[in-house]
Amino acid sequence: MRIKKMVTVVVVVSLALSLVLSGCTQKQASSGGNADYPKRPMEFIAPGGAGGGWDLTIRTVAKVLQDTKLVSVPMPVTNRPGGGGGVNLAYLQEKKGSDSIISVYSPPLILINLNGSTDFSYKDTTPLARLIADYGVFVVAKDSKFQTINDVMEALKKDPKSVKIGGNSSAGSMDHIQFLMMAKAAGVKNLKEIDYVSFQESGASQILGGHIDLFSTGLGEVQGLLESGDLKALAHTAEKRVGTGVVAEIPTVKEQGIDATFVNWRGLFGPPEMPDYAVKYWTDVLAKMVETEEWKEARERNNWDDAYLDADEFKAFLDKTNEDYKGILEEIGMLKK
Amino acid sequence: MEILSYLLNGFTVALKPMNLMWVTIGGVLGTIVGMLPGLGPATGVAVLLPLTFTMGPEASLITMAGIYYGAMFGGSRSSILINTPGDGAAIAATFDGYPMAQNGRAEAALAMSAIASFIGGILAAIVMVFVAQPVAKFALKFGPAEYFMLMVFALSATASMAKGNLTRGFISMVLGLMIATVGIDAQSGLERFTFGILELQTGIDFLVVIIAVYALGEVFKAFKMIKEGKKKMQTKFGKIWITKEDWKRSKWPILRSAPLGFFIGALPGAGGTMASLIAYNNEKQLSEHSDEFGKGAIEGLAAPESANNAASVGALIPMLTLGIPGSGTTAVMMGALLMLGLQPGPMLFQQHPNLAWGLIASMFIGNMILAIVNIPLAGVLVRVLSIPPKILYPIILGLAFVGTYAISNSIVDFYLLVIFGVMGYFMSKTKIPTAPLILAVIVGNSMEQSFRQALTISNGSYGIFFKSTISIILFILTIVSIMYPFVRDKIKKKKSVAGLNN
Repeated sequence: MRIKKMVTVVVVVSLALSLVLSGCTQKQASSGGNADYPKRPMEFIAPGGAGGGWDLTIRTVAKVLQDTKLVSVPMPVTNRPGGGGGVNLAYLQEKKGSDSIISVYSPPLILINLNGSTDFSYKDTTPLARLIADYGVFVVAKDSKFQTINDVMEALKKDPKSVKIGGNSSAGSMDHIQFLMMAKAAGVKNLKEIDYVSFQESGASQILGGHIDLFSTGLGEVQGLLESGDLKALAHTAEKRVGTGVVAEIPTVKEQGIDATFVNWRGLFGPPEMPDYAVKYWTDVLAKMVETEEWKEARERNNWDDAYLDADEFKAFLDKTNEDYKGILEEIGMLKK
Repeated sequence: MEILSYLLNGFTVALKPMNLMWVTIGGVLGTIVGMLPGLGPATGVAVLLPLTFTMGPEASLITMAGIYYGAMFGGSRSSILINTPGDGAAIAATFDGYPMAQNGRAEAALAMSAIASFIGGILAAIVMVFVAQPVAKFALKFGPAEYFMLMVFALSATASMAKGNLTRGFISMVLGLMIATVGIDAQSGLERFTFGILELQTGIDFLVVIIAVYALGEVFKAFKMIKEGKKKMQTKFGKIWITKEDWKRSKWPILRSAPLGFFIGALPGAGGTMASLIAYNNEKQLSEHSDEFGKGAIEGLAAPESANNAASVGALIPMLTLGIPGSGTTAVMMGALLMLGLQPGPMLFQQHPNLAWGLIASMFIGNMILAIVNIPLAGVLVRVLSIPPKILYPIILGLAFVGTYAISNSIVDFYLLVIFGVMGYFMSKTKIPTAPLILAVIVGNSMEQSFRQALTISNGSYGIFFKSTISIILFILTIVSIMYPFVRDKIKKKKSVAGLNN
């Protein structure tokens, strides 16, 4: 008897766990009505693993919408990682026309299409709003010979192999591209010759240990090490200075005479052909959300810059960004389409 | 003795009734997810993530750490009882733990694994109190070249473990390395062996391979044995405890493996699997009973159990002192801290001493609670051995599929599961060891990436692999680990010959 009981417990626990883990995915046909939309729970998706940037963003959005009572239906967050966001992009195609799915994305949405990882692009989604921005930052060890971002660029002009650039994303993705965009604007030729070393997650320890010369990453990623003085930031890629404390002391690339910016934007997207009533509803709700105190607090806590654009502005922004990235990828020979 | 007063403060945090409750819940939850194939500490912590919003920083960090080392306690339960590790770090527990269970010593194996985990965890927590900062500093000396050498050492040590079976060990390792090449190559951004399947772009998750090779492999094997009526069940169970002899043999292996595991755990990206396999191999070479290893030597179970629990404590170091996630689990934990508005990094100990020291103190308490919980729990679990195979194996099969789906909600993983399951069956039929395969799948990609990172940094010069003392030492260790079994045999032969002549 005891054994049977135990077996039942094991099975029940594992089933319960797997339910929780799969985020109670539900298939829903889009309903025709709009007056009482949304009636059923929404499916919020982070295209990456738990604890990552996408995950953090969409969970925060869900929480703010719930706390401010702007949305009353449940918004459970599902993680659908894989292919740098491509797996979820393919999933969205299966859910074409659904009114109950919302996903978060950032520059990789465009990059994975341009570098050929996936056939789908941002055009196969329904952009709802751009919400926040983080910026790229270029950091060196505290005793580095480089004092400004221009020192780095000069060294690269003389010898493209003389500065080893590291980052956490793969070659041809964000950390790599954001540096090359600055280098291009600074007049460095032969972008293809510049060595980029990809570390999956431990790039910060490599710059601390002096194994690479420059670490290209997100402003939020190294704040602790900048505060303690273990790392020195040469420049960040925002239009103007941002943040408070040590972050506010970091000069922009632009003010050092290189005319370029890079925005790591994050926004929300529906599946392709999301019904108009749903698009309108979420455009309105998100416009209200960004004005709330709760959202502002969350932004400050996470060091996210406000970057709100409504659905139409966001679409135009994506078109322009797509062209910008295309130029860089073409130059380093990683453009696939 | 400033440190001790900080620690004392930490204990006042950790001993708050709510926090005591959380560390117990975390530990027990960790033990459960650790036991189930496919569900490791990373999933356990991820499940908890939405709750952390409401729990507050101290409680959520303490709970998540509890899940982490709780999973180290739990992972080996299924290794011992059904030869199916719950996670990578529990693979080494199958080597001698499962043979012990087969020899009717499951009770001692379960008790020893809990005791070794407990001592390993406590020792690591003590080490952490005093040398967290210096260890973190030393770990920074590991650049791509050093990582590469470390992984070569771990792999060759594991592959050459089966004496006289070097070829088979290396066949297994190469298969694993091949599996590890699947996916987008981070250095070039190019796809390799993905066959246009999107899900393969991120590579094949090592957990799928573990579940396939062990759980499915075991089911296939049992299937044959049930048919032939060979599978025997254990019906009488003794007390969950060890003998004096067991303790005498395991004492030193446990004490040696804890600091080793702690240090390997503190290296970002190395982790519990490598720690436990290196500890196992280490003890096998040092032991007087090295012939018994793999046949149910209790120290062969004690050493890796101590090491992997110590590694889970060590893995918190890069996160707490530098704000760098050292493993998949700590990456999720860091995400949770960021959500709570805390910035992990060098300033954490100064800005939030209660949090950091509360966590360290909770590890002492958590490990104690887990040891207390796990011994009676083992008394229940051991009865799995009395379940008729016709019932037990279908359950394992079901759990294998559920666990696989839980990894990344992907159907593609089911196909991989079956393919590797069949592969695992044929490997065991042809007596090819599976541990080198698994370790190769886990470290293969990082090893290759480190190799290429190093060469990019050195502009293509191989000299970088012999530039630092660390990599030279690791290189020598690698050579020794491959040669040692042969050399020792020679010496033994000579001795016995000399003995005969006298």
